[in-house]
Amino acid sequence: MRRCRALPAAVGALCRALPPRARLAPDVLRRARFDRPQATLDFWRLLYALLKQIHGGEWTESDAIDTQIRFVKSALWYHGYGRPELYQLPSDGSAGSRELLLAFSWLLHRVNLLEWLLARNRVKTGDETSVCTCEDDLSHSQKDTTEMAPGLEDRVDVRYLQWLNGKLRFQWRSLHAQHQEQCKLLHKIHLFTSGSHTDQALGHFSVTETDLIRHPENYNQLLQHLELETMQLEAFLEWKQLEAVYWQWMETVLDNMAEEGSLRTVRDAPVETSRLQEGATCCPWAESMTVQIDRLSGEMTALHSQLQELVARRRSAWCQKVKTREEELQKEDFSTKLGKIEESVELKLLDLTNHGAPNKNKMHGSCRLVFRSKRSASKTGFGGSASKEPVPAVSATEVIRELRMREASLQRELKQLQDECKQRLDGIAERLDGVICISP
Amino acid sequence: MLPAGCGGRLAAALQAALRGGAERRRELERSAERGRDVLWGERRGDERPKAEVGPGGGRESTPSSRELEELELLNAALEKALRVRESVSGAPAAARGAPGAKPAGGAADGGDTGELELPAATRDGPAAACPTCEVRAGSRQPTAAKKPPPYRLRAPYRTDPDVRRTQRKAPAGRVSRAPGAAGKSSSKAVAPKQGGRRGPAVPAAAKPQRTAGFPRSAPSEQHGLPAGDGSSVAVCGQQLSAGKRCCAPLRLPGGAEEHTAGARSASPRAAALQEQGCQLELPLPYRKAHTRNSRAWEKCRLCHTSADAAAARTRFTERIQSSFCSPTPTLSPAEIEKELKALQDVPSRLSLYVEAESADHPTLQREYESLLTLEGLQSTVSQCLHKLQLLRAAVESQRKLHPGCTGDQRDCCAACAAGAWVCGSAGTLAVPLLCYSRLQELRDLFALKLQVSMLHQQIALQKVSL
Repeated sequence: MRRCRALPAAVGALCRALPPRARLAPDVLRRARFDRPQATLDFWRLLYALLKQIHGGEWTESDAIDTQIRFVKSALWYHGYGRPELYQLPSDGSAGSRELLLAFSWLLHRVNLLEWLLARNRVKTGDETSVCTCEDDLSHSQKDTTEMAPGLEDRVDVRYLQWLNGKLRFQWRSLHAQHQEQCKLLHKIHLFTSGSHTDQALGHFSVTETDLIRHPENYNQLLQHLELETMQLEAFLEWKQLEAVYWQWMETVLDNMAEEGSLRTVRDAPVETSRLQEGATCCPWAESMTVQIDRLSGEMTALHSQLQELVARRRSAWCQKVKTREEELQKEDFSTKLGKIEESVELKLLDLTNHGAPNKNKMHGSCRLVFRSKRSASKTGFGGSASKEPVPAVSATEVIRELRMREASLQRELKQLQDECKQRLDGIAERLDGVICISP
Repeated sequence: MLPAGCGGRLAAALQAALRGGAERRRELERSAERGRDVLWGERRGDERPKAEVGPGGGRESTPSSRELEELELLNAALEKALRVRESVSGAPAAARGAPGAKPAGGAADGGDTGELELPAATRDGPAAACPTCEVRAGSRQPTAAKKPPPYRLRAPYRTDPDVRRTQRKAPAGRVSRAPGAAGKSSSKAVAPKQGGRRGPAVPAAAKPQRTAGFPRSAPSEQHGLPAGDGSSVAVCGQQLSAGKRCCAPLRLPGGAEEHTAGARSASPRAAALQEQGCQLELPLPYRKAHTRNSRAWEKCRLCHTSADAAAARTRFTERIQSSFCSPTPTLSPAEIEKELKALQDVPSRLSLYVEAESADHPTLQREYESLLTLEGLQSTVSQCLHKLQLLRAAVESQRKLHPGCTGDQRDCCAACAAGAWVCGSAGTLAVPLLCYSRLQELRDLFALKLQVSMLHQQIALQKVSL
């Protein structure tokens, strides 16, 4: 009985914890539980809005429903949802609300949907910058535009291309100058206002906050957003209290389905229908992954053979040296020394491999820039040592190190491509008789 | 030499890149503008008053659009010149500050000197905010030298006694909300016409207002009053809208101090934020909202899933996953991407280590260490190669499962243009911080970020040309 009362509260909190632009009436969940068709469209829309937000795409509520459905299916595939029944749902959104409820709940847990959305939609009052080395938005949007660009005429003057290229270079240079100026401004503001923020972890104001002091009237909306976000966070906390009820309820949904026989397990399913949908052989995603894997494999293989050679040479040299000085070394108790070396190397390598491990708590997304002079940093400790779990903070040095690595890798990739290009040109040049080409 | 069709594609790609860059530049310019406004706003305020003196109210009210345009250009050029000068070295800036202050001081009676800075400081907020104000600044140049005590003149222009009065009358408790009101009044001040017309009458009105206004302001105001002379204070009083009120008082001490100290520090405008910056306070409503908000984030961050919820959740997930099609691939596309991303810089990192180890070593111990390290690196590389093979297989199995893939990129893989997804994967509930300790660090960081995105672009372009 208690559960009966707790369930609406849990569902209510869940709905309020969703982003305002993609909120669901609690009633829809209840209807979906009985697989009512009326709830279907609402659910598709909800999933569409949520997944679009996660993937950072543009969207509107008025997008065609079949587009929405296709997107949701694709995104669910991307996250690894594998119930064939979902992918077989009609593309007009006329049925299947219960399937959608299941998918939604699965996302809720597997993808940490709520947490993710809260983090992503966070109201930004600080001076933010992204800290990860993932491809940035620029290259993404660019990819789109190049693909969409209308085919210009084939005959394009090379000089025009050179001119464009020069312009682009110049643009990058000005961007650099602008960024540098921006840094100076930011730093000044941070420095001058240090100590004034009520939030100890931050210490100083951001540009937005400083401006807010001067023109508060411009920030009424920000204030509103902040308050809405607080409410959403509070709803999330409430949901965390009541979550268990929801999951128990979802289990009863599965029970019902099992009774109806609509929850087949793998064993019963014939292999053919278990495929979500016999996929097309060309999938751009798979293509691009394969290209990346190929490139990385190539680099690794090259590195591997380089290492193999180096190690073989070193080992033989080492063996020889040890042999010639065997007696002398025995006196020095050489083996214990070697033992120590082995230990230290092991540690070093462990550190190295950890670096490449995924999920090593690397930060992603955008962070608030905070200035902490060396002095104050040592005083307060990094990230507010007061609480048990420190506030996630990353130091600029760390990010810079990561960026340097990224830069090096990209340089290599570019070099490879340029070499490839040059080879092709050489190939073309060779076929031209009597022409001497001097490569740049 | 370019393959057929390649030229066109390349041109399109370059143009797109240029468009993207231009957009980026505009955005940066906007945010820099805001930063400058916050930081140097003072200066503009300083200059403006002078400008006003010359032309008089009438002129202010009706500048032609052409004139405005020209002035704006001029303004931008001047501002740039100033900035350049400033950036060249700190000393020039300081020098500039001093001269600016002196003429004004000299002109004004002795009593004034203390406050000359005041109006400037208080004023520039609105000035900066509004382009039309700046326009006036342009005209300042010719007149500036002639009329040093212009600050007073400003008062009328900005004043809107009625408005102010009503604001003042607001309950004292409202101080916190004052900022909002301030904003309003400042925006009014911005409209040149009102001010200009009213000008002459204002000074008298202004004074009373100011006294009314100041009482509300922070204790620091006390410093301000003695130092400043009536007129200048009045000036700031008027435009001090609530927002001003919070900061204006704070600025006062700074201004006074600066004067007594002479040109000891940098330019006056920078000094304004520099000296009062650490005493600034956010408007109360915002402060409250911020506190509530960050407390909520903190609670969310520390909140854990209860044991029974976790158990029920896991049971549900396992049951539903048992109904997934078989064979269930071990990795989802999202996970594949994540793994791949984790590997992307491994070759660079490993090469660095290899390089470091490839020199000859003097001692046997070092040599042994190096050998072991190299062997370890070798096995790491093997592991990575193995992982890549697994990933390749995973990609293949996912390719088969992909629903309704038409091969059209925009359509099919809308979901997997997902740098965004992988990127946001932190999913931790907190406001993440990026701490830097020196300006140089910040510069390096931004330069590298730019470098990385430039390389991304170059690679994309190179691919197009292949």
